[in-house]
Amino acid sequence: MTRLPLHHDLYLLAHDQSGKPLVHASSLALGLAGAALLDLLLAGRIVPSAGRLAVRPLPSGDDPAAGRAGGDSATGRTGGDGPWSWPAGDSGAGQDAGDAVADGLVALAARGPDARSLLKRAAAADLCGLTRDGLLASGVLVRVSRRRLGMLPYTRHELADIASVVRASSGVRSAVEGWKPPDARCAGLCGLVAVLRLEEQLYLDQPAGRLVARLREIATAADPPVGELVEIVDVLVAEAAVAVYR
Amino acid sequence: MRTQQNIEQFGYRQELRRGVGLADLVFYGLAFMVPIAPFAIFGSVYAASGGMPVLAYLVGMVALLFTAASYAQMVKAFPLSGSVYNYAGRGIAPPVGFLTGWMILLDYLLVPCLLYLVASVAMNASVPQVPVWAWLIIFVAVNTLINLRGIRMTVKLTRIMIVVELVVLALFLLIGLWALLQGKGSGFSLSPLFNAETFSWPVVFAAVSVAVLSFLGFDGISMLVEESKGGSAEVGRAMRTALLLAGVLFIVQVWVAALLVPDPAGLLARPSDTAFYDAAAVAGGEWLRHLTSFATALSWGLVNTMVAQVAVSRLLYAMARDRQLPSFLAKVSVRHSVPANAILLICLLSMGLGLWMSTRADGVTLLSSLINMGAMVAFIVLHVSVIVHHSLRQGSDDVWRHLVAPLIGAGILVFVVINANLLAQVLGLIWLGAGVLVLIALYALGRRPTLTGHL
Repeated sequence: MTRLPLHHDLYLLAHDQSGKPLVHASSLALGLAGAALLDLLLAGRIVPSAGRLAVRPLPSGDDPAAGRAGGDSATGRTGGDGPWSWPAGDSGAGQDAGDAVADGLVALAARGPDARSLLKRAAAADLCGLTRDGLLASGVLVRVSRRRLGMLPYTRHELADIASVVRASSGVRSAVEGWKPPDARCAGLCGLVAVLRLEEQLYLDQPAGRLVARLREIATAADPPVGELVEIVDVLVAEAAVAVYR
Repeated sequence: MRTQQNIEQFGYRQELRRGVGLADLVFYGLAFMVPIAPFAIFGSVYAASGGMPVLAYLVGMVALLFTAASYAQMVKAFPLSGSVYNYAGRGIAPPVGFLTGWMILLDYLLVPCLLYLVASVAMNASVPQVPVWAWLIIFVAVNTLINLRGIRMTVKLTRIMIVVELVVLALFLLIGLWALLQGKGSGFSLSPLFNAETFSWPVVFAAVSVAVLSFLGFDGISMLVEESKGGSAEVGRAMRTALLLAGVLFIVQVWVAALLVPDPAGLLARPSDTAFYDAAAVAGGEWLRHLTSFATALSWGLVNTMVAQVAVSRLLYAMARDRQLPSFLAKVSVRHSVPANAILLICLLSMGLGLWMSTRADGVTLLSSLINMGAMVAFIVLHVSVIVHHSLRQGSDDVWRHLVAPLIGAGILVFVVINANLLAQVLGLIWLGAGVLVLIALYALGRRPTLTGHL
């Protein structure tokens, strides 16, 4: 079974079965950005360098996403608003991570920001929509249109198979219960679940406070980038909550 | 580019998208100050100033223009979204920052309570069947619900509300001037600006200590420094512009209202929280009384509280994250992206204190004086920060901006504090003493103040 990207797992945990989000959009966007960045750090695609982030070139030397950081010579469009201002088909997805969110992060990271700046800029894009599109494309989610009271139309993105969300949370549950030692990816997901207060989605019979503390403990005990990244997301989520304008 | 370099100098990088221009910064400052703010405290200022509210507002504006100048210098030196807590901590020393934050907390914590009380008094003036305490409970409940749901002011909503308030003000001024021309009120006179029979500097400064409340909030513009298109220089310009605009509006409206006061001697003897609405009724009849009181209730009770709630939440969050206040105040609700604990704290405080103050005849005046006391002391420290940081540490040779102007600004504010309400002085000192004790406790626990965050 192919493992989903970390931000896909987090997206599934952050929505109920009917597709309703369980956390505020700004908090979720920061969490998704953190998850995607963690995946890229663990894959070695983005590396920390003197307090900043740097993109490690692809072996082929062909990196369209990173190349767009300073602008797109073919279209004449600048990359001022990040790679997400390009249409999905033109984003370079598929040549690197194969994911619009990950490719967008790589392009932003090519400018050499620190993790905090990168996450804030990334979260300003429609990460939730891009992640949802990725899950729709892979068939994990299905688009369902209905009418309220037979009149008002609305669209939801529901799980095609509930097993997807069970798989997404299985590593975290195993780590908390001590059945299986967590790897760095799983530890990162534990930390992000704690930050976004999604512990109820784990369906573990533990008091919420103790469970969150355990999840944070797992993230902190992992390799340094994991704990540090989770900490940054935690601070950014809090700062977003006291922002003057959203 | 200069701002960008400055931010990086403190280990930070520009993160927020710069999208707020000068006009929106000024609108935000005006939304925080409320262009019709004197409607609510006109009676207290009129009585305290011996019938010279225009002079009180004029002196207040001059004093705070110096404060805005000092803010501009500190924002330029530390171009981070912050408050006077941050600037004093970085400009002088973290313990001074803590005590300054503690003093401005007196302002920030009590402002929502005052806003609810004023809005309730205004609604009671229009619908006397519902008592002030009941209106207060309604305002606190509605606002707490709005805040907990994560509903915020937007740039567009800020503009709309300012325009609505300005329309109400324009109506009052037009009808008030027309009424004066028709011989209503006491006719045109310079006495609201200067009256030799009642003038004395202590009286003027005592009135300034109340009137200055209307200007508080201009400093909130500094919270938007990272979003400002023009960076710290534009924030300084916006503060000056907002203060001047508000000052002119305040002076014009209290001048017209002072000339329309139905019983000047009675108001001097017994300050009334509804004096402005009474003056409006003299000018235009009952409908203008209701319009001005409704406008006050809406602008103070809904718009300004939303802005004030963000300001107090940011300060509580920043101080709690720096471990200078209990950590639960730094916790937020992820579901609604709101500082839920801070909101609930303000709700409880506003409800308890507001209900108590609604039973006191001088409730609005006392709360205003306490708020102003906290702000004035913090602003004095801000002036000192400019002198310490720029003149002493950096060796600046800009004598006017970095030495003389802050000294004049601090001097005026010292006089205002000395002549303020005695009870407010005593309570302010008690609050400061409590802050010193907390600071000693922090040192004893090994949690000496340090500044870590942006806010």
